[in-house]
Amino acid sequence: MSEFLNFLMLGLTRGSMYALIALGYTLVYGVLQLINFAHSEVFMAGAFGSFLVVHLVVGEGEGLGGFEQLLVTLLGLVAGAISGAVVAFVLERVAYRPLRRRGAPKLAFLISAIGASFFLSQLFGKLFNRLGNNQFPDYLHKGEVLWTPFGARIKLLQVVIIISAVLLMIFLDRLVSGTKLGRGIRATAEDAPTAALMGVDIDRTISRTFIIGGALAGAAGFLFGYAFVFSNTMGFIPGIKAFAAAVLGGIGNIRGAMIGGLLLGVAENLIPTAPWVGGDAWIGQEWTDVVAFVLLILILVFRPTGILGERLGRAA
Amino acid sequence: MRSTRPATWLVPLALVSALTLSACSNDSSDDKGGGGLGGSGGGETYKIAFQGPLSGDNAQLGINEVNGVQLAIDQANESGDLDFTLELVKADDQGSPEQAPTAAAQVLQDEAVLGVIGPSFSGATKAIGATYGDAGLSFISPSATNPTLSEQGFPTFHRIVPSDNVEGSQAADLFAAKGYKKVVVIDDLSDYGKGVADELQKGLEAKGVAVQRIGVDAKTTDYGSTATQVASAGADALFYGGYDAQAGLLAQALKAANFTGDKYTGNGGKSSVFTDGAGDAGDGWFFTCGCSDATVAPEAKEFSKAYQEAFNSPPSTYSPEAFDAANAMIEAIKTAAEDGAPTRDSVEKAVDGLDYKGITTSVKFDDNGEVDASAQTVNLFVQENGQIKLLGNIKDQA
Repeated sequence: MSEFLNFLMLGLTRGSMYALIALGYTLVYGVLQLINFAHSEVFMAGAFGSFLVVHLVVGEGEGLGGFEQLLVTLLGLVAGAISGAVVAFVLERVAYRPLRRRGAPKLAFLISAIGASFFLSQLFGKLFNRLGNNQFPDYLHKGEVLWTPFGARIKLLQVVIIISAVLLMIFLDRLVSGTKLGRGIRATAEDAPTAALMGVDIDRTISRTFIIGGALAGAAGFLFGYAFVFSNTMGFIPGIKAFAAAVLGGIGNIRGAMIGGLLLGVAENLIPTAPWVGGDAWIGQEWTDVVAFVLLILILVFRPTGILGERLGRAA
Repeated sequence: MRSTRPATWLVPLALVSALTLSACSNDSSDDKGGGGLGGSGGGETYKIAFQGPLSGDNAQLGINEVNGVQLAIDQANESGDLDFTLELVKADDQGSPEQAPTAAAQVLQDEAVLGVIGPSFSGATKAIGATYGDAGLSFISPSATNPTLSEQGFPTFHRIVPSDNVEGSQAADLFAAKGYKKVVVIDDLSDYGKGVADELQKGLEAKGVAVQRIGVDAKTTDYGSTATQVASAGADALFYGGYDAQAGLLAQALKAANFTGDKYTGNGGKSSVFTDGAGDAGDGWFFTCGCSDATVAPEAKEFSKAYQEAFNSPPSTYSPEAFDAANAMIEAIKTAAEDGAPTRDSVEKAVDGLDYKGITTSVKFDDNGEVDASAQTVNLFVQENGQIKLLGNIKDQA
């Protein structure tokens, strides 16, 4: 039981990061019907941006108290979100809008996104470093155990990450369903030409959608770097996984991305390590990625539109 | 995954090849290359290539080694005993099997290269062993330890470190002598990591010690679930077969998961990348390594001093081995040069016949390219207060 809970917490932690990134894919797909393959680099930019700001303000931050730890986390989330938002905004302006203006085919957007992805990854490598394992100073005491229900070890860091992610997701859900901007995003996703006729500024809505998605990915970048490590190539694998999560939940569907992310993270941690006791695992962790993508394929075979189905977007 | 993004390595590769091409066009009187300063014997210029990771995640190991090679070549040129001038050619393979063939091709197209020090990594060595073999170009690896390398029939393969078989089986002896009942053995799915882990598992099972194996991809950034699995295994000790950067992350995760058993890793984990990455979570980790500590071994005092002066940092893991490998190669070129202009073939013959006493080992190869059994020593190291310290021969540590 205690091991099961440990793996479940690890899965929820990783899954909530996947969910935050997946939201960016799904939002952009909703308004543009295209996959923003440079989104993983927005995530990476969030990690670097938040590190720079937090490190500048707090330094090595040894012996922080509880309230200061909370402030550091908030600062990191905000700095990561702003870095991600700025990069996503510029990305849309430079890599997408000129193509949209000229009515380029879908494939051109894809190539442009891949180019932007290379560029950003290499740019950060050049600006900072190309080391694989940059780390944040240990502000939150990574090893600190908060509770031990049933002998499991629930860590402060895990709780902080899950709560941050859930709050951000609730915030996004409210934003999309309850504000004027959210209505614009939904209208653009439903039928862009008609939305334009009804007075929605399509360009501005798309730009804001990128900013929102970028902010979430940037915040996830901070959480990821904080919990694990960050580097200029960190975006690739979580990016692919989050994209899979978005498809799993139903691409274009916001709640689907959240569920898909959490499900993927949990499955990735629980399935390869079963039966969660001391002995050998049935499958083994070297199969983690295989498990994740077999799950994706299985779900798509039985539900081609994902768990919750496509909702925001038009039928392709 | 990096292999799916060719632009990541194409740029440095293009730069390196451009530099090498321009180096080729310099004539030998031009003293631009590598640092062959003054006092050189003049005459023909021959080149020794180094192949290893000079960029990427594992660059530190390659830099440790290439500096050792550079030092050996500079010292030989300055000594005045040579009738020729030596030059170093650097080929960056990032330690990866995918990029090793490109690096090897770059080495091979330079006719003046008579021998290679490297590759540093087992996977890269496996990828290019046949290529160098076909070209008759002798290569001595200072650190590729996978056991199967000497069984591939690579005709020009040599290494001056014991294979993981030796490291793995001697570690198994140590674990049994320490009375461990159950050991968790983790590997990173690489040629090196899996090789040493397999050998250790074999040795432990032969001695009746229970083994639990876990494989974790070397690109993992989150060792949480691995550490949880290890902590729940109820094992007395853990061995990680893999490289330094990942071992550092694992060390942190294990500390967070409250694993209390003894922690070991092999030669791939022993470096400043580990101590920096793991921080105080690395204290108490043991390292098995068929390498010596250049800062304490008496034979190596002079080497350490010269290295510190030349590169402004103390020699690190595999620097002394690379220094020895380069000196052995220089010795072989000298021998080959006694009977007229040395060729790749005559150098290869001379390497096979070497009997050279280096600072870490005596260099004398058997038919498979392994260093003579009598010279294969595995040492045990431990991290204390962030520093790696030599404990001594692993056989004396139980």
